[in-house]
Amino acid sequence: MTRAHVVFVATILVALLGALWPGSARALDRTFAGSVQLDENVAPMEPTTNAGTQTFYGFTAELSGKIAVDLSEHVSANVKICYGCHGFETDMAYFDLRVNDELNFRVGRFSPSFGAFNLRHDPANHKLADKPLPYDMGRMLRMRDWNLGVLPSPFPDNGVEVDGAHWFGDTAQLEYAAYAVSGFKASQGELDLDFVQSHSGSLYYVDNNNLPTGGGRVAMTLRLGPGVDLTYGASGMYGTYDPQNKFTYGIFGGDVWLRVGRTNVRAEWLMRRQTFDTSNQSALKYTVSPTGGDFFVKHGAYVEVEQPLGGGVDGILRADGLLRLGNIAAGSPLSNQATVLRYTIGTSIVIARGVRLKLSPELYQFNYTDAAGRNLEVCLQTAVAGAF
Amino acid sequence: MRSWVVALLACTALGACASTMELSEGMDLSAVPPEQQADYAVFAQRCSKCHSLARPLNSGITDDAYWRMYVEKMKRQPGSGITENDRPPILRFLHWYAGSKAHTDTKTDGGT
Repeated sequence: MTRAHVVFVATILVALLGALWPGSARALDRTFAGSVQLDENVAPMEPTTNAGTQTFYGFTAELSGKIAVDLSEHVSANVKICYGCHGFETDMAYFDLRVNDELNFRVGRFSPSFGAFNLRHDPANHKLADKPLPYDMGRMLRMRDWNLGVLPSPFPDNGVEVDGAHWFGDTAQLEYAAYAVSGFKASQGELDLDFVQSHSGSLYYVDNNNLPTGGGRVAMTLRLGPGVDLTYGASGMYGTYDPQNKFTYGIFGGDVWLRVGRTNVRAEWLMRRQTFDTSNQSALKYTVSPTGGDFFVKHGAYVEVEQPLGGGVDGILRADGLLRLGNIAAGSPLSNQATVLRYTIGTSIVIARGVRLKLSPELYQFNYTDAAGRNLEVCLQTAVAGAF
Repeated sequence: MRSWVVALLACTALGACASTMELSEGMDLSAVPPEQQADYAVFAQRCSKCHSLARPLNSGITDDAYWRMYVEKMKRQPGSGITENDRPPILRFLHWYAGSKAHTDTKTDGGT
C-alpha cells in the first residue's frame, strides 16, 4: 500500500461522504457499520522448523468500515474498506440496481455469490477467530505449503452480477445469482493461483487477461417449523487465470445450513480443479503423466456446530480439512495426495454487547512431517472482535 | 511457552470479566414487557441468523421508516429466511425498543 493508494482511497471516501452526508438530505437512508478483530495465533514454534513462520504469527488485526447509501427504493450503493494482513483492500464498491426482489443488477467491486460462509466472512459475523480451511486466508498453520484454502474469503472482484430471490409463501425462499468478474490471477508459468496478485490494489485492480470468469449460485431456504430453517445451495465459477488464457480453474461447492432455534449446524464442501503449465518439467515434483497430468484438484470441507450455552457464551465444534490431489511444485513438502485435518473446540464469550472474546484450541493433523518431524501441531486462536 | 501463558492469563481475565458482567448480545427477557416478548422472540430468532443482535440493538436508530426499509433490505439477503409474516413483529419490537429505557441505556453505555 503506497502513499498514493492511501490518498486515493481517502479521496474516494471523502468525496463519497461529502456527496452523500446528510445536509440537505435525510439521515434516513445512510448506514455506517464496521468491525474490528485483533487476533493472536499462539502456536508453539520448534526452532528447527518453519511451521511458525507459515502462519500469521503474533497480533494481526482486521478492520473494516462500510457505508451503505440508499439513493432510492431501487438504487443503493455500498462501499466497504478493509484493513487486513496485507494492507487496505476495497472489499465492496458497488451499486445495486433493483428492479424487484427477483431481479437485481450489482455492478462494481464485490465478492461474487459463492457458498455459504462468505456471507458471514466478516470477523464480527463468525464466532471462531479463523475461517474454515476451505476459505482460509492465512490463519491456518503451514499456509505457505498449501497456498491457503480452496477459495480464500473474501474474494472481491470487479464485475457484474444478476441476482434475486423469490418467496413461496412463508415456507421457502429461492435465490439465484449469475455473474461475470475479472477472475483470479497468476503470472505466466505459475502453477497455482496468486491470491495476492488477485486482490492487490498495487496492480490497480485490473485483469491480467481478456476473459472474464463466469459463475453462479442457486440456493433454497426452507422454513421447516417455528425457528427451524434449512438452507442448501450449490455454487460454481470457471475461468482462466494466466495472462494468455491457456490455463483454467473451476471452483464448485455445495452447502447445507440447519438452524434449530439458535443452534447452527453447517456443512460445506468446495473443490477447485485447475490446469497448469507442464512445459517446464523441472519446476514440478513428479514426472508429468501424458494423460491427465496437467491439473490438480483441491478439495476442502468443514462441518461445524454452534451452540449458545447461556450467559453470552457460545460453544463451537468444528472439523475441517483439505485434500490436494495432483502434481505440485518441486521443493514442496506436499505429496501428490496431501491432506490436512483440523479439529477445533471453540468458545465465544460476550464481553460487552457487540464485543466478543474468541478462544479456540486447534489440532492439526498433516499427512507429511515438517522439518522437526511433526505431523501433528496445535495452536490456540485468541481474538477479540467487535462490531459497530 | 511464555506466549501461551500470557495468552491464557489474558483470556482467563477477560472471560472472568465477562462472566461477572453476565452479558449477552440480545436482551435480558426480564427487561422486555410481556406483551413484547413474542415480538422479541421473532426478532431475536430472525435477526441473529447472519449477524449479532448487537448490530440492530446498538445502532441507535429510532426512525420507524428507516427500520421498515432496513428490515425489507435484510429480508432480501441470501438465506435470510425472513418472511412477510416476520416483518410486523420485528418492526413492532424495534419500535418499542427505540422508545424504551433499554435503548436509552444502550446509548448511555456507549454501545460498541
